[in-house]
Amino acid sequence: MTEPSGIRYYDLRQVSGQSTHIDVDKGVIESAGTIFFNKAVIRVLGPRGWGILEFDNYSHEPGKKFNELLASAQKLALVADDTVNLGDGSRIVRPVPLVKEDCRDVGIEEKAELLLAIEKAADLPLVTSRRANYSERIEKVRFMDSSGNEYCYEICRSGFSVMAVASRNGTVQMGYEPDHTIRGFNLRHREEMGRKAAATAVALLDAGAAKGGKMHAILDPELAGVFAHEAVGHASEGDLIEEGNSILKGRTGEKIGDDRLTIVDDPSLHEFGFEPVDAEGIAAGRTEIIRAGKVNAFLHNRQTLAAIGNGVAGHARAMPGEPPLVRMSNTFIETGDATDDEIFSECKDGIYLAGSRGGQVDPGRGVFQFNAEYGYLIENGERTRMVRDVSLSGEILKTLHGIALCGKKRVMHSGYCGKGGQSVPVSDGAPLVLLRDAVVGGSGVD
Amino acid sequence: MRWWVAVAWIEELFTVGEQRVDELEVYGFSGTSISADLKQRHVSLCSSSVETGLCIRTIDKGKIGSSSTNDPQQWQACLDAAIAGGRLAMPQEWKGLPDPVALPKTDFAWDPDLVVEPATAQELLAGMLEGALEYPDATVTSGGAGVAVGEITFANSHGVRYTSRQSDVSISLEAISGQSTGYEFDHAFSRSQVNPQRVGEQGACLASRSAGGKDIPSGEYDVVLSPMAYADLLSGIFIPALSGRNVLQGRSKLATKIGETITAPLLSFFDDPHRVGATGSTWFDAEGTPTRRLDFVRVGVLTGFAYDLKTAYRAGLQSTGSAIRGGFAGLPAIGHHNFVVDGERDEVFDEPAIYVHSVVGAHTANPLSGDFSVEMSNPFWVRDGELAEPVRGAMLTGNFFDLQRQVAALGKESRAVGSYILPPVKINNVRVIGK
Repeated sequence: MTEPSGIRYYDLRQVSGQSTHIDVDKGVIESAGTIFFNKAVIRVLGPRGWGILEFDNYSHEPGKKFNELLASAQKLALVADDTVNLGDGSRIVRPVPLVKEDCRDVGIEEKAELLLAIEKAADLPLVTSRRANYSERIEKVRFMDSSGNEYCYEICRSGFSVMAVASRNGTVQMGYEPDHTIRGFNLRHREEMGRKAAATAVALLDAGAAKGGKMHAILDPELAGVFAHEAVGHASEGDLIEEGNSILKGRTGEKIGDDRLTIVDDPSLHEFGFEPVDAEGIAAGRTEIIRAGKVNAFLHNRQTLAAIGNGVAGHARAMPGEPPLVRMSNTFIETGDATDDEIFSECKDGIYLAGSRGGQVDPGRGVFQFNAEYGYLIENGERTRMVRDVSLSGEILKTLHGIALCGKKRVMHSGYCGKGGQSVPVSDGAPLVLLRDAVVGGSGVD
Repeated sequence: MRWWVAVAWIEELFTVGEQRVDELEVYGFSGTSISADLKQRHVSLCSSSVETGLCIRTIDKGKIGSSSTNDPQQWQACLDAAIAGGRLAMPQEWKGLPDPVALPKTDFAWDPDLVVEPATAQELLAGMLEGALEYPDATVTSGGAGVAVGEITFANSHGVRYTSRQSDVSISLEAISGQSTGYEFDHAFSRSQVNPQRVGEQGACLASRSAGGKDIPSGEYDVVLSPMAYADLLSGIFIPALSGRNVLQGRSKLATKIGETITAPLLSFFDDPHRVGATGSTWFDAEGTPTRRLDFVRVGVLTGFAYDLKTAYRAGLQSTGSAIRGGFAGLPAIGHHNFVVDGERDEVFDEPAIYVHSVVGAHTANPLSGDFSVEMSNPFWVRDGELAEPVRGAMLTGNFFDLQRQVAALGKESRAVGSYILPPVKINNVRVIGK
């Protein structure tokens, strides 16, 4: 069978590899195991949209079999009745950063021992439960398309998390510390992470519930990073803009935040969301979503770039065996020039919020929510009483005007982001940030 | 469930594996699916997926190992990896994999007539688009329709050989009117059990009717949580506290409360794995243990927790048949099949309240303490027995464990939301934070 005619474009993305996990619960290795996977996706662009095949164990060779697959995908594409054009972008593949120690050079027994030590370090008085996980994922990615672009790379992402639960008189609290990285094996000499999780859990036993309402808030770099991700990142994704499901649609150039606010997504940064090249074979660099308070650029794949413009392609990402979606990678608020002291004295009375269990956004409505693990009241510029379980909600178009000061040092935190049933590695970050008139949710009352 | 058809490599796996370890099991899955997506009112893509996979678990002197692969031809490498992982594990109290039991050979959620073709997805999308036209001021932003069939194969070295088939139809639609969004979905095992016109109409209706909402002041309100909102909070907070593993390891607030009244007396929570037509129904769990009804809360009183084999053996108990897997690659973990919220039914709209259709951020709640604060989506005032004006948005906050005592009524109609089957739930005196 020859290559079918009438195909405007096709690509193949195959991801094979293995993932390993170790799960430790109260000093016991609960489970350890390996998953092997080999998944492929073929996308064919027909006259009016996409036909997509997802399948396992593809052996990479052109010829009759491949042309049959193209024909099957082309048949699916006939169902579509959309208008699709493709933009283009930078065709480079960035090298995967070198690592100090390769996970593959460390035996699973040694990994387990190191993880046990981190988990053991969380064994402080009042801690009643501990748990730690290690995960490592090696992916070999092969891509080819009908325009002759072809690439191949291998990347290893690994990391761990440790959790501690403290209880006293029926009050139960937890502390959680994760660290995931593309920079190589990270389990050595990390017992401080276990101690930190335990210390947080124990300290929270004495924390009160925050009283909800409108107040000034200082966000630590981790939480401010989640804020950038939820409040701005998702709403700038080109597919949502194209569907008409983002409040940022049609607002290019509009001022939605303070002059000091710049928010960036950059898949080329050597952080957890790093991609050598995206899932359509395009390498995006720094994209300033918000520049000096104005809507500046959207995150795009090839299709949404052609449909919407304003921004660059190179933001298409996918889980193995899934079709690419427009996604964030490493998202952050740029640093400013305020010192920590200035931020606290400017806040005067309010709340300092730290850590996060994540957040969520309704980009069409422009409403977001995200959660801090703990915080402290700020009284007269000083941190005072500890509070627990504080959430923030806000409206994208209003809240960004409230970012009044940004600190001088940015810190990135790694995690995973879910969209359309796919979870991809990301990092978020920011400096210390002052947010005026934040809507804070807490269950405390006077 | 059907008669077991011998699969050559599985029998070979047991022959080889039993010489190396005390016991082993294999869980296999194969399935195909077709889905199509909407971008506004156009079909933007159609996709077809074929998936196979297997997970091998080995037990040797109390040490459990596991490995999975999506290539059945690689079962030998997979077995080696499982045994290697098992060597690392610490031995635990283990009393054996389940023995075979004669289970009924019927499938609970299987429609042999389901057509897994693009035409089915196309027709479902068209139905939703037609329904959405009822509210012309709402614009469809996205939507999806998927049809899938799959077969599970489960076998262990004690001679268990089970198979089951399942089919699945799922649809969803998102719409927007100005800055007001609406989302509706449905899922069932059969095409005839989902109503695309209704889903389209409801998604558009929510967007249309939520536009122009007014702020509300902070305070305590009586709140009606929709099945979606209640299921979202249950799954983030209450469900983890019912896991035997969390109970055993000191991570459940309910651990010491068996026999105590923990919710309003009108509430009962149970897992019903034998509900005909429910997508989670099954005769056997992910470890081959026969399933049964499991009562968690009976008329307000906490009656039980969920256990898999490993946790049950460790606690000196029996498995409750509660092992589930998140796909073939996932290890068995404690969960539920169909989590049912039930009790005496009543009117929930007969007195003024705030209706909350869904919540934003339920996964950020604290599962240990139960404290949560989430943003409401599509909230409305309830007046004169129906939904009245929309509320612009506010946060809902409190302790989800404590709030169960304030449940005042369960609505008359239940619906399926993922693995939950539940009615709207009215809870009195819930703290709301206005903007």
